[in-house]
Amino acid sequence: MQKFILQRLASILVTMWLLATIVFMLVNVLPGDVGRKVLGPFAPQEEVVAFNQRLGTDKPLVEQYAKSIKRIFTLDFGTSYQTKSAVSKIIFPALGRSAKLAVLAFVVTIPISIFAGIYAARRKDKFADRLIVNAGLASSSIPEFVTAAVLLALFAVQFKLGKAFANPPDGTSLVGQLKYLFLPALAMAVAYFGYIARMTRSGVINALSADYTRTATMKGLPKGKVMRSHILRNALAPTITVISVQIGYLIGGIIGVEKVFNYSGLGSTMLGAVGAKDVPVLQGAVLLVGLVYMVSTLLADLLIAYLNPRVRLDGK
Amino acid sequence: MSEVLTLAPDATEAPIVSERKQARRENWRLIRKRPAFIIGIVILSFWVVCAVLGSAITPHDPLDFRAGSHLSPRAEFPFGTDATGRDVLSRVMAGARDVLRIAPVAALLGVIFGVILGMMMGYLRGWFDTIASRIVESFLALPVVLIALLAVTTLGRSSWVVIGVVAALFTPVVARTVRSAVLAERDLDYVTSAKLRGESNLFIMFREVLPNVMGPIIVELTVRVGYAVFTVATLSFLGAGPPPPSPDWGAQVSENYNSIISGFWWTVFFPAMAIASLVIAVNLIADSVQSVMEAS
Repeated sequence: MQKFILQRLASILVTMWLLATIVFMLVNVLPGDVGRKVLGPFAPQEEVVAFNQRLGTDKPLVEQYAKSIKRIFTLDFGTSYQTKSAVSKIIFPALGRSAKLAVLAFVVTIPISIFAGIYAARRKDKFADRLIVNAGLASSSIPEFVTAAVLLALFAVQFKLGKAFANPPDGTSLVGQLKYLFLPALAMAVAYFGYIARMTRSGVINALSADYTRTATMKGLPKGKVMRSHILRNALAPTITVISVQIGYLIGGIIGVEKVFNYSGLGSTMLGAVGAKDVPVLQGAVLLVGLVYMVSTLLADLLIAYLNPRVRLDGK
Repeated sequence: MSEVLTLAPDATEAPIVSERKQARRENWRLIRKRPAFIIGIVILSFWVVCAVLGSAITPHDPLDFRAGSHLSPRAEFPFGTDATGRDVLSRVMAGARDVLRIAPVAALLGVIFGVILGMMMGYLRGWFDTIASRIVESFLALPVVLIALLAVTTLGRSSWVVIGVVAALFTPVVARTVRSAVLAERDLDYVTSAKLRGESNLFIMFREVLPNVMGPIIVELTVRVGYAVFTVATLSFLGAGPPPPSPDWGAQVSENYNSIISGFWWTVFFPAMAIASLVIAVNLIADSVQSVMEAS
């Protein structure tokens, strides 16, 4: 188990290094003058020179590269061009706001989709199963911003439910915030429903036909107990993996949802940074997202190991 | 000795080839019979026709702004008009072109590079596989939309940048699938006999192994096209797509989403539905191909 965790930590480091390198290459090593490229062909030369100085792109590449690698460990991503404040002061609070949205989305979607997956598996090839499978396919293949825009048109405008601007005013109580966050969270919940429900369904179908399930039923265990401690324990491993991988993709989708609902989370921050060519904020945000993704997949693997002794003892 | 070795594989390979052809024909017959596949093809064909013919078949000119602004849906403008008085129906029809030009190319390039890389990893093994596997795993952790946004910011807004980034981020995913398919093949007799025949690695990889792993590759291609449509639409909504007068769907949603709250839902609803229908169509096709291929 210890070896497993150490291996995973090592692979996180490798991935973060690679991520930092890719970001570095995109910003620095591509042909041409970075300042000129970012500011466009009509910017005056002095501005380009000043831009390169601020970014440090006038220094030797090796020095720049070393600096960008150091950032992963110190979490110091430099200073924003736009606001002149430390990047970490901008991206961490924004991450917190996005996390609020994501947690709400997961709280809504995980129980519903796991239940739907189990229900579909027990009614395999019946009408309810086909319905859940196809609804899941549709829900997970539609981009989140599309769902968000349709929900906005339907609920906020037609039925006057929820808010079109998802930023709760300062000092709103936690319950009061729900009213603001509900629609954007719902848009994301719809997107994850498909993945989680379909994964649960196939896991449960496999477990239902497994020998251990038959043995448990034959020895007279009550149905609920077989479901909980034999079927679900085994069937949920792929589901947990899918959920953790979704946390990485989540951030891609959350940008669109936050834009539709004018919510100032990490997605909007990144989008603003793209518009303002605020490279340090963008760099920091991408690295932070990578880190969140890696940690969440690690936690998922640990949870799977906890649920399934075979994985744990193999020290895979 | 050498004569026997060169003759024997040829003699046994002939029926294998025809068997493969037969299996392919059978799969294709099964795929065509699935209702999901038929629905997907019908929707996709509609959008392809719109993309190819463009303004030749739209009821109005998609760029003409002489109609009144924000007209609600009515007989002359079934989907209403947008803020500048352009016909939404015509723009939705013409908007199919951008996404259908970019997404399939990105997916195809990603699959081609992924097949080459995955082939080399699975067939050559050794240090190359070890290092490449590590890098591939790391790439899987990269958020596609984010990296693409970063690339568009630094490299400029062009469809080739979008195609390049999406293809580059799809390559490792495809490579991983192809690698595991190749691993299952590389120790089979036909590979060993090709080696004994003295065939080059390149020949064995692409003439002997490749035809046998086409199943998962085709599945991967259809799935990737779906993801590419999803990603390209999202990117153009986020501002990395074709510039304003273009009727691109994501760009239309992006231009108009702030007017939903004023009640002009049709300017967003119809392009959004167009995106939804296209991704669902592609995924229905991919899902049908996948279930038939995996069952066989």
